[in-house]
Amino acid sequence: MNPIAAVKSNWRILLLVVFVSFAVVALFVPGGIMADDSLGGNESVQESPTNLEFGLGLEGGTRIRVPVTGMTAEDIASDAVSEEGQVDQERLEEIEGTVEQELDLDPANASVDVQEDGTVTAEVFTGSVTQAEFAAALQSANVDASEDDIRDGVTQSTRDQMIETIQTKINAAGLSGGTAYEQTTATGEHYIVVEVPNMGANELRNILSERGVVEVVAYYPGENGNQTNETVLTGDDIATVDPPQQREQGDGYVVPIQVREESAQQFQGRMNDIGFTSDGVGMCNLRGDGESISFDHEGEQYCLLTVADGEVVDAHSMGDRGGNGLATNMRQGTWADDPTFQMGAQNQQDAQSLSVNLRAGSLRAPLDFSESQVYSIEAAHADQFKQYSLLIGLLSVVTVSGVVYGRYTDTRVALPMILTAVAEVVVLLGFAAVIRMPLDLSHVAGFIAVVGTGVDDLVIIADEVMDEGDVSSERVFQSRFRKAFWVIGAAAATTIVALSPLAVLSLGDLQGFAIITILGVLIGVLITRPAYGDILRRLLTDQ
Amino acid sequence: MAYFDVPEIEYTRYSNRQLAAVPLAVLAVALLVLSGSFLVYGTPVPLGMDFAGGTELTVQTTTPEGEIAASFDQTPESVTGTGTENQYIVRFSSTDSAALTDQATDSDTGLEPDGDAEIVQSVSSTSASFGAGSQQTAMLGLVVAFVGMSAIAFLLFRTFVPSIAIVISAFSDLVIPLAFMRLVDIPLSLGTVAGLLMLIGYSVDSDILLNNHVLRRSGDFYESTYRAMRTGVTMTVTSMAAMLVMAVSAYVFGIGLLASIGIILFVGLAADLMNTYMLNLCLLRWYKFEGVRR
Repeated sequence: MNPIAAVKSNWRILLLVVFVSFAVVALFVPGGIMADDSLGGNESVQESPTNLEFGLGLEGGTRIRVPVTGMTAEDIASDAVSEEGQVDQERLEEIEGTVEQELDLDPANASVDVQEDGTVTAEVFTGSVTQAEFAAALQSANVDASEDDIRDGVTQSTRDQMIETIQTKINAAGLSGGTAYEQTTATGEHYIVVEVPNMGANELRNILSERGVVEVVAYYPGENGNQTNETVLTGDDIATVDPPQQREQGDGYVVPIQVREESAQQFQGRMNDIGFTSDGVGMCNLRGDGESISFDHEGEQYCLLTVADGEVVDAHSMGDRGGNGLATNMRQGTWADDPTFQMGAQNQQDAQSLSVNLRAGSLRAPLDFSESQVYSIEAAHADQFKQYSLLIGLLSVVTVSGVVYGRYTDTRVALPMILTAVAEVVVLLGFAAVIRMPLDLSHVAGFIAVVGTGVDDLVIIADEVMDEGDVSSERVFQSRFRKAFWVIGAAAATTIVALSPLAVLSLGDLQGFAIITILGVLIGVLITRPAYGDILRRLLTDQ
Repeated sequence: MAYFDVPEIEYTRYSNRQLAAVPLAVLAVALLVLSGSFLVYGTPVPLGMDFAGGTELTVQTTTPEGEIAASFDQTPESVTGTGTENQYIVRFSSTDSAALTDQATDSDTGLEPDGDAEIVQSVSSTSASFGAGSQQTAMLGLVVAFVGMSAIAFLLFRTFVPSIAIVISAFSDLVIPLAFMRLVDIPLSLGTVAGLLMLIGYSVDSDILLNNHVLRRSGDFYESTYRAMRTGVTMTVTSMAAMLVMAVSAYVFGIGLLASIGIILFVGLAADLMNTYMLNLCLLRWYKFEGVRR
């Protein structure tokens, strides 16, 4: 037989060999098929003997699925956007202001925006307002909206922004490999999913439940001598943020920021108007205990307060610092040309979270943890699962081998059968390594299911081919193999159809199971089972 | 000769009625169990944490199993040991996983740490509303899978009786394990739903094989049946063995997901043996000998 004919008649086996070798390279050679390890930096990859990536359930970490708190009224106030698409910003602010006032909300908890399609939506981000109250508040802003126009949940753009913020937050907290994404259930509910490896549930929940609204509030004697609070800078006014550093003089930390040009003039003017740069220079005696600030004081105070999520973190005054301080520059009007500013914090942790919150921005809306789903596992426990699932997989393969051998007692039939089924799993594992699919327990179940269906189909081939006595010729073999393949194809089609809903629907962790099983069936039908047919033919027809 | 061989059953001794009676009676009992459970408990099968909401903690502690409950403000639904020493799974109906974690790790009233290991090894919590959403999704998934499978069955055989035979026995293959779950109190979890979906795919294989041998091959009905059985029973028994091993070993190791997939598939495949070679077979025989002539 010449080489070309040999290749031709054995191409199915050769194809399997090629796939298995590719899989082995992808699995075990460091760097694998994807030589460009651009996602690298994950040190655990170097330690493990394979290139497989593991998901939370087998690696340790926390996943939280949580909806956003809020209500939305869509397509309201068409008077605010003209037909040419001109937006009446004042009208929007007026509505927002009225809603805040009527419902007694913080400025961060109400928002009226123009969406991409040119319609106006109003949102409130709190669980303490009913739909009727929201509708009434909109009506007092002369917006034609009834209770029926209001739905639970927030807009897509709000969710997108939140996901971006959360992603920045977890990255800024120095956690590599964390991700945030949106998941929509079949029932149309939207969840934000946050996954962070190697972090406990309570820790992650703390990061996520912090809204991160940072403000600078001026605390000064008002017109009638009473101390007044006035928000003078918000997160929106800030252009850039530097990492926290220790204060040059005295205790505590500062986060240097740069104020936006548009806001700088206004801030400077207001500081001059309310006396921070004249009567109030250096006039702040509020002292902290390292955590919070005590407001017991006598006399007039001119303090700039750093406020995070409604809590006062630090207080300090403006100084002249011998003619070159903040107050001096503001008074002369030169500060706005180089609007840098230092936000204070009493301890390093506060300074760090201040810096993160300023950089990531605040979460537009709070997350509703009472409706959440949490999954968290310690790295050590996850590692245990990894070993156990390997063991369970091996036990299953051994069992299947035992039954198959018991049934055929012919090593020529049984051994290739078992090897082929194992090859199927190897190809599948290699595939998972190439596409960097993070493997979880549900995937392990999928792998075991693949061995099961794989062997089933090999049994069909073996029985069919050896039916009615020996296989005398190539032609007889081919016709029997084709008959067997009809059944296998039909069975594969039903398995794929049965599992495809799971592969598409986001039903917890089952997506991985469905995807692996479907892929396994496909690899089986297209590559490994035809190869087994060829192996069997060679063994039985003695060619 | 093989260590085990598929026995040849003398089907000629039994009438179609006799053959169908057993699987139909089992199906009726299963449906009765499910509907009775629906009337009494409000759900046909007990709902697990994934669907009803609740919290599950895996704890590593030297506190004896009987005293674990005392560390929590809320009485746990259950405390079960895993295969690992000093490791327990504690289930609660409360969804406040943060509070439960704090109670477990409280240095005064909490659980005793086992060496350096963290007390709380794993936390899993689902709110009731999230669970309700998953319930609907799972239901939708099962219905779509079943309808899709039925459509394929009709597409493959294009005749009513053999196709409906597949659909009926697949339906019974699903209902019997569900009733089994109710009887031995296995709660419906994501794992069992995956098992049920897998069952739709798995169980149909032997039905397709039988129909194919009887309808698309020449030869005597009983001879074709025997050949299909020899292959089909081997397949199903192999899968059952694998699933039983997976279920038992996963249960011992405390990996709930794999254990429930395994047990559901084991029971479902056992039901499938009965449904395929009694129910499906008698429908086929009726079709072959009497139905075709009409």
